[in-house]
Formats: sequence, C-alpha cells, structure tokens
Amino acid sequence: MTANKARRDGARSQGESDEQPQPVSKVLLLVAWLIPGLGHWLLGKRLRALVFAGVILGAFITGVLLHGELAVPQQNSPLSWFFAFGCIGDGVLYLIRLLWINGIDGIFSASFPYGLDGGGNPVAVGFFYGKTFLYTAGLMNLLVVLDVHDIARGDKS
Amino acid sequence: MDHFLLLVWHALLVATFFAFLWRSDARGRKFLFLKTFLIMVVGAIVLGWLMFPFP
Repeated sequence: MTANKARRDGARSQGESDEQPQPVSKVLLLVAWLIPGLGHWLLGKRLRALVFAGVILGAFITGVLLHGELAVPQQNSPLSWFFAFGCIGDGVLYLIRLLWINGIDGIFSASFPYGLDGGGNPVAVGFFYGKTFLYTAGLMNLLVVLDVHDIARGDKS
Repeated sequence: MDHFLLLVWHALLVATFFAFLWRSDARGRKFLFLKTFLIMVVGAIVLGWLMFPFP
C-alpha cells in the first residue's frame, strides 16, 4: 500500500516535471501583436499565420473603407481606454492608421495620449459597421497573441 | 451599401478565425466554421424578425 502510494507520488512528480511550461519570449509576443500572423509564422504554423493575417487585415481594411473610427483614449472617459485597448490590438495597423490621420505632430502633441483623432466619418452610412470591423480586428489579434503564447509555452500544438 | 452583405462578410471572417483558432484538423475546422457562420447569419435574421413588434 505504502509502496504503491510512493510509486504514484513519484510518477506524479515525474509527470509534473515533464510538463513544466516553456518560458515565452516577450519579443515573440510583441512581434505577434505588432504584425498579425507573424507570431504563428515564426512558430512554424504557416497556414494559421496566413489565415489570421488575412482575416485581421481584411476586417481592418473593411473598417477603414466603411469610414469607421478607431477608438482613442479620451479625457474624463475611463471607458474609452477599454475601447482603445481593443483597437490597439490591431498592432502596427492601428499605429499606421493613427499616423495617417494625425501626422507625427498630431500624435506627439502636448496632450498625448488625449486629443488624438480616430478618423472615420460619423455621417457615413457605414460608420458604426466600420467601427465594429475595426474593433473585431483588434480583439481577434489579441486572441492571436494569446494563442502564440500558449503554443510557445507548449500548452497547445 | 448592402447591410446583409456586410453581415455575411463579418460572419465569414469571424467564423474562419475561430475555426482556425480552436480546431487543428480540417474536419473540425469545417464543422466549426459552418456552425459559427450559420449561427451568426441565421441568428441575426431571426433576432431582426423578433424585434419587429418592438418600437
């Protein structure tokens, strides 16, 4: 009985030591966030990388073409940070779009990060649809980053 | 601008995304894609009809 228990405990501790998670490179996560799909590509998941890149880019471009507005932080509106976080998930697409709309001077104005223009045209028919596509793209990329983390850690294949 | 086409396009993108995120085999991906896509499109139409009586 005692021998069995000891064997079981030994096997459990052996199993636990085998399943120790791998350390995840922060650079990999940063790259995965900045360029949609690149994290999976670097991990050798080429098909998934292409699909994720295509889907996220497709959603982002649709949002821009529909005159959707990117969420930006606004003063006295804590909830705007929540929306901005979702959009910042777009990575470099978000940064390029903000740069396109505001210019370098606008981005690094005195009131940064407040006072940024998220673009879009509120009068356009597709304004809210566009926002939905832009938010969806950002949130999908955040999930992609989490997926890269799980794969790199060895929790998922 | 066709609102229904935008709905279908959005459902297509999201269904493809989750099919590749959550499934690793081709059969599982196809099944999840179809399930998610149909739930989003048909669900939106049904919800739209259900909202008719409300102002």
